[in-house]
Amino acid sequence: MRLLEARDIHSGYGDMEVLHGVSVEVGKEEIVTIIGPNGAGKSTLLKTIFGLLRPHKGEISLDGREVTGFPPHVLVRLGMCYVPQVDNVFPSLTVQENLEMGAFVLRGDIKPRLERVYELFPLLRRRRRQRVGKMSGGERQMVAMGRALMLDPTILLLDEPTAALAPNLVENVFQSVKAIRDSGVAILIVEQNAKQSLAISDRGYVLVDGRNRFQGTGREILENEEIGKLFLGG
Amino acid sequence: MWERLPQLVAYGLVSGSVITLGAIGLSLTYSILKFANFAHGDLMTTGAYIACGFLLLFRFLGVLGGRFGKLSFGPAMIPAFLLALAGTAILAILIDRLVYRRLRRARPVMRLMASVGVAFVLRNVILFSAGADPYYYSRKIQRAIYILGVKLKADQLFIIGLAAVLVVFLHLFLSYTKVGKAMRAMADNPELAQVTGINTERIIAWTWGIGAALAAAGGILAGIENKLITPELGWQALLPLFAAVILGGIGSPYGAMAGGMLIGMAEEVSTAFVSTAYKPAIAFGILVLMLILRPQGLFGRR
Repeated sequence: MRLLEARDIHSGYGDMEVLHGVSVEVGKEEIVTIIGPNGAGKSTLLKTIFGLLRPHKGEISLDGREVTGFPPHVLVRLGMCYVPQVDNVFPSLTVQENLEMGAFVLRGDIKPRLERVYELFPLLRRRRRQRVGKMSGGERQMVAMGRALMLDPTILLLDEPTAALAPNLVENVFQSVKAIRDSGVAILIVEQNAKQSLAISDRGYVLVDGRNRFQGTGREILENEEIGKLFLGG
Repeated sequence: MWERLPQLVAYGLVSGSVITLGAIGLSLTYSILKFANFAHGDLMTTGAYIACGFLLLFRFLGVLGGRFGKLSFGPAMIPAFLLALAGTAILAILIDRLVYRRLRRARPVMRLMASVGVAFVLRNVILFSAGADPYYYSRKIQRAIYILGVKLKADQLFIIGLAAVLVVFLHLFLSYTKVGKAMRAMADNPELAQVTGINTERIIAWTWGIGAALAAAGGILAGIENKLITPELGWQALLPLFAAVILGGIGSPYGAMAGGMLIGMAEEVSTAFVSTAYKPAIAFGILVLMLILRPQGLFGRR
């Protein structure tokens, strides 16, 4: 059984339908990348899965449990966390305070969870008292991912984690993604840097105009000539 | 003229303390709910009247009499003060449930207009139930004491001290408690707060409670300083409150503290040069200047 299943999702903003029947699956401890041209509905799909948008039609299940239309604060308790593309940190809070906010719904001691995040991102431990607003884009991305990991999710949704990052930092983010997966978390990524993301992915999906166009292992998509020409820059 | 400066600065500290307590709450609700609450001054009035009600009740019952040293009030003020803070906080949370909660997704200007309505209701309920005549906190004449060549009444020292204590408490609350950190997180980015799983409705209730309690404290201290209170107390305070909040940078509670002190000082020091009748004009002048020259405030970002 798949950890996350989204079947035949129709969704969009108000009356404007962006997704016309998209299906994706993510297995336990799997990295899955969704690529596609701008406007294909990649971010809309993530927002729908995370309950920020209500699907007009379709079903979403998490670990065998039907969660279609569940609001975000319920989904985070069920083990699904989400990192938005922009504005994904609290700039006037310190690194540690950002992480603490990630565990807001929990009662009791959160130190072991902080430790785990600091082990994944040693830089954040050194900077834990710094205000996030003064940090670079790559460091903010670490804070955002660390915050989402505080609830010990089984699956993490990442919306374009390398958008607006300098090229030399992109590689760091993908290294972090791999490390997060190795700690036992499944990851669903929407990406513009398709090649690098597919290279670390177990599987991938290509979305075009709100529909599934192609799916396969990361390698299959990278080696597919037609997709290469259309979406991976030849 | 200049030899009066230390004295005027001391008076500025007193009125700045009252303005600061009001301005912090105004800034907190702005930062989290994104609207200028025109009813905030009337929460100050409400607090002042609730405290006055309990003071009269205790006097009627003949309990908690006497005075603290050179202060104009005695043991009765302690429960009256605490009950007024709690009562005003509960009232503000109730008003939020009844009025503003329905407008969470509306445009901010709708909440602003609703708050003007709330202000009229609060003020007129007070006017209707307590009457237009002033109520006296104390009618006794107080002797001033001299400190470093500055002449202040014991009450005024108490006002500065209590405001400082409350400001320190607020700072500790915002810095070290889970709810305080969540309030700052929500001020930064309400959508992200929700996505993170922060119970935003609970944080909003806390914000109203704290803002209103500080407003009530400000109202009571204004009553102690002026000896008397009227239903217009908070409405008249609204202009310096807004001037303080905008001066400090709207939405920043620390800016509101600095802004409140600066407005209080500016109003008092100006009396060395112009008639005291121009005090509101000084606050308004600073407000206009800031909006033209530095709309983000002294400590605001962007």
